[in-house]
Amino acid sequence: MKLKTDHSSRPLWLAPNGYIFLESFSPVYKHARDFLIAIAEPVCRPRNIHEYRLTAYSLYAAVSVGLQTNDIIEYLRRLSKTSLPDGIIEFIRLCTLSYGKLKLVLKHNRYFVESRHPDVIQKLLKDHVIQECRLRRDINDPDQPEAEGDDLIVSKISSKSALQLNQPSTSSTETDLPANAEPQNGNQTNIPKDIFDFYDKIDEEEEEKEDLQTVSFEVKQDLIETIQKRCIELEYPLLAEYDFRNDTVNPDLNIDLKPMTVLRPYQEKSLRKMFGNGRARSGVIVLPCGAGKTLVGVTAACTVRKRCMVLCTSGVSVEQWKSQFKLWSTSDDSMICRFTSEAKDKPMGCSVLITTYSMMGHSTKRSWEAEKVMEWIHHQEWGLMLLDEVHTIPARQFRRVLTSVQAHCKLGLTATLVREDDKIADLNFLIGPKLYEANWLELQDLGFIAKVQCAEVWCPMTPEFYREYLHIQSRKRILLYVMNPNKFRACEFLVKYHEQRNDKVIVFSDNVFALKHYAVAMGKPYIYGPTTQGERMQILQNFKHNPAVNTIFISKVGDTSFDLPEANVLIQVSSHGGSRRQEAQRLGRILRAKKGSAAEEYNAFFYTLVSQDTQEMYYSIKRQRFLVNQGYSFKVITKLAGMDEDHLHYSTKHEQQRLLQQVLAASDADADEERVVGELNAKGSQVVRRVGSMSSMSGADDQVYMEFQSKSKLKSSHPLFKKFRK
Amino acid sequence: MVNVMRGVLVECDPVMKQFLLHLDESNVLGKKFIIQELDETHLFISADIVDILQDKIDELMDQNAYPVLQK
Repeated sequence: MKLKTDHSSRPLWLAPNGYIFLESFSPVYKHARDFLIAIAEPVCRPRNIHEYRLTAYSLYAAVSVGLQTNDIIEYLRRLSKTSLPDGIIEFIRLCTLSYGKLKLVLKHNRYFVESRHPDVIQKLLKDHVIQECRLRRDINDPDQPEAEGDDLIVSKISSKSALQLNQPSTSSTETDLPANAEPQNGNQTNIPKDIFDFYDKIDEEEEEKEDLQTVSFEVKQDLIETIQKRCIELEYPLLAEYDFRNDTVNPDLNIDLKPMTVLRPYQEKSLRKMFGNGRARSGVIVLPCGAGKTLVGVTAACTVRKRCMVLCTSGVSVEQWKSQFKLWSTSDDSMICRFTSEAKDKPMGCSVLITTYSMMGHSTKRSWEAEKVMEWIHHQEWGLMLLDEVHTIPARQFRRVLTSVQAHCKLGLTATLVREDDKIADLNFLIGPKLYEANWLELQDLGFIAKVQCAEVWCPMTPEFYREYLHIQSRKRILLYVMNPNKFRACEFLVKYHEQRNDKVIVFSDNVFALKHYAVAMGKPYIYGPTTQGERMQILQNFKHNPAVNTIFISKVGDTSFDLPEANVLIQVSSHGGSRRQEAQRLGRILRAKKGSAAEEYNAFFYTLVSQDTQEMYYSIKRQRFLVNQGYSFKVITKLAGMDEDHLHYSTKHEQQRLLQQVLAASDADADEERVVGELNAKGSQVVRRVGSMSSMSGADDQVYMEFQSKSKLKSSHPLFKKFRK
Repeated sequence: MVNVMRGVLVECDPVMKQFLLHLDESNVLGKKFIIQELDETHLFISADIVDILQDKIDELMDQNAYPVLQK
């Protein structure tokens, strides 16, 4: 690799292992960033130097949004401080040349394989499997005179962006961009001009290419899967696109954004990637919590204007999606239906259906009514499927949802594209490539999300608790460090302190034993799994509007999708092991931009209470990795000033001793986190608890005995009998 | 008869003292090493065990720290 002479004005360095390092203080940073987001995965984005990584999937995503191999290499070459490593160029070629050449397009409810490269189509048609899949229309067919015999359909597509937004937002971004770019041009005359020129060229190509020649042939609908599989074998994977404007079979919805609805620049940018060429692509959009993912979803639904299904994680978020739909768009109650176990509106024939993953993924018996609804859902063609918190999808019980429902286009929304298992890559073929990922720090600087002070509070274990902690090897250890009296005192102190400042505080605890104990001791309301929907709503409403309720305790049911815009302080007492996702999701509860507090440096606070010298320290660092990669820094507080003067619980040895006795008396099961239905990584419980008397356990009650056939016996039987048994 | 034992005075926080007591009681190092408990933060231990003890404490610290560089 050679260093270029004008390297100081070029912003990035491309390492031979595919990692890219970008200077975020470079004057051409804005251009380089947009380009890198499209072609690479952001790994770590702190204040000054950003780290990206080129992967096969990221390049695949780049091609699917319309970038060409040569453009990618050429632009990288211009941005790079050095010459590009040969291995990387080879890698980019390899990954991009065959990708994205072929598209599977749904037009007028007929499937076409379309390409801008006639030679690729010709090559494909020589394959006998694909020949079989090809649909040849009769010459007499009046509808399709151009599809006679072996000729290919040559057509022109206009690739203007399909995204139509309300005026104010578009004009604001357009004025925004040049205004930023020009002064930089003036100040820094030594920037190589080619960087700008080329970027503009790519930009133009992306936005304004019209009337492109395409070649296509129609395929038989029932053989779609065969052709998809075959194309992957031939190394020309098909990209699925939905030409929703020309879809005449599915009725249009009368749904639009309200005139007052204005999108923020990054929301618009993310949607541009989705609707870039006049059609809808499937994919995933990653935005921080509280940055308005719902609005992105609603806008997508209003753009496609076809029947739409929204999948979210809980009953509460179903309600929130509904109210957001009504807030931003012209839809009303008659169009939106909820399908959950509590609220069963009549979903048949509705245009926007909002439901939960567990409702759709439910595999055991349902009520007759729900069964009918499911049947209806399976027989519909859905224009758009919105998947909220899409990182849950790779879990086995939810995957089925994707295949059982026929949706032309799928849009996944999430804040945290991380899982502790390695299934996150599965999203690439389950849904589609990542279309856009926002930078947390930049949104924070622009004021779209709250400025958060993250702090880790170290609470020393009391000698008595630590003694027990060392002796006990079972899961109860967890209970000992969660119930550490010093931790309790720190929590109480912080709650008091922030309540005096009129802040709204949420305390999270995964451990239900601790949750109850803390909440009861401090006299605050708490929400956990068994809390009914009505009670939850009541507590949340009180938290929002009642000045007497400033603090609530929530178990992990509140991790995602509890929209609590008022909350600005979050205290984490106990957590789910080393889960990075949970940490980020929890932070998200307080990320929504706060009004009228711009004067302060920080307007939200995120505390994690950690018991010193225990496993918790290990988990705490592990959990923070994701947020650290987004550029957050954690402040470590070893001693809370003023804690000793306050009158707090458990200040005497005697009280602490009593607490210890309570903890020791608790059972092992209390140490476990609660299991939420449909929670990721939830292991099936091995133990079943039954309450009963000794006599009933031993069969003295009037129990009826049944005979069971053991499995081993079934195996040995003749296959012929198996058939009949079914 | 006078018994002379070479020992080391250890000053530590109350939590670490608990850890040392735990090691002493559970015989992890093969023998008892605490000669005298003095108060909340002070212990008197036999001198020949100090090196092994330091290793044990390092081990505890490592257990509770996540290696940041690990991908």
